[in-house]
Amino acid sequence: MAETMVRMGELAFSACAGDVLVSLGLGSCIGLALLDRRAAVAGLAHVVLPAADGRADSPGRFADTAAPVLLDALRGLGARRTRVEAVLVGGASMFSFGGNGLEVGQRNDAAVREALARLRIPIVAAETGGSRGRTVRVTVETGRVTARAAGDTEVALYPLLAVTA
Amino acid sequence: MSTQFNDLQLDALRELANIGSGTASTALSTMLGRAVDISVPTAAALPFAEAVDAVGPAERLVTGVVIGVNGDMQATVLLLLGTGDAATICSLLGVDPDDEMAASALGEIGNIVGTSYINALGAMTGLEMEPEPPQSATDMLSAIVATVLAGRASGDDIALVLDSDLTVEGEDCSMSFLLVPSQGGVQELLTRLGLGD
Repeated sequence: MAETMVRMGELAFSACAGDVLVSLGLGSCIGLALLDRRAAVAGLAHVVLPAADGRADSPGRFADTAAPVLLDALRGLGARRTRVEAVLVGGASMFSFGGNGLEVGQRNDAAVREALARLRIPIVAAETGGSRGRTVRVTVETGRVTARAAGDTEVALYPLLAVTA
Repeated sequence: MSTQFNDLQLDALRELANIGSGTASTALSTMLGRAVDISVPTAAALPFAEAVDAVGPAERLVTGVVIGVNGDMQATVLLLLGTGDAATICSLLGVDPDDEMAASALGEIGNIVGTSYINALGAMTGLEMEPEPPQSATDMLSAIVATVLAGRASGDDIALVLDSDLTVEGEDCSMSFLLVPSQGGVQELLTRLGLGD
């Protein structure tokens, strides 16, 4: 099984059975997984900040650019737009800086949800918020998504248990 | 690697980190009643993903004490201790590592070490720097570091990380110490050193 690391600001997608897309230790970042389980394709973006504000160089970094770019990439691999589903992991509030209102984690969460709503992609599972870091794993062939919080065991988010936040 | 800073600038920043961590080690040494060694700091300007990789294994469980810095220079100071190192520090302070007092003891260590580092930088550069109260968390290394970087991000994908290690003599105990200035903060530092762009 080949694990592809999706680091801060990166995105990856695959139609290869056996591929697993992984983001280790998400804090305030969001792991945005898009899946078409029938076509057996999946993608993962490691979103760092809510808005690109016109920047186009690294679409995976920003909630508003990551969602559409990942969707296009999956369609290029044979995904059907109407079958694409989303799973979100991360967006924790571990620290608060400078009292500037909402935490980056919460703003990321809201921005990813807004971007998905604009694309009419349903969120079928989410494990966001709280104060703990998480690792997300996406198995391309089955569309299985797991999350593991620091010091915890891995939990299946989808398709076994659909947790909606 | 450094896409935004030249060697002279990185050298100057490393020297600042050296003096800051020297002062910090003295403060730590006084608190613990032990000699504390410091490593030669590294200064690197890296894309976020590489900055996180450079700090250590992503899922390693660590305790991070974070101190926000406001004033003329915006930055975040991050003190990182492995769980074993945190336990050693607690016992040197006479606190049970499993006690709920442990987190506050570590926060206090972070506070004293972090503020002495910041005060040294402030004294050297003439910049007004106000440390915020410390916050601590025990979590995955990359979650802590990434959250600190994202909290200081201004759209650019380059993080300047000044990293020094403090080692308590006679104990297998060390901590690493990161200063992550905001983009404007770095320019302000360099300007004060006469190396501004």
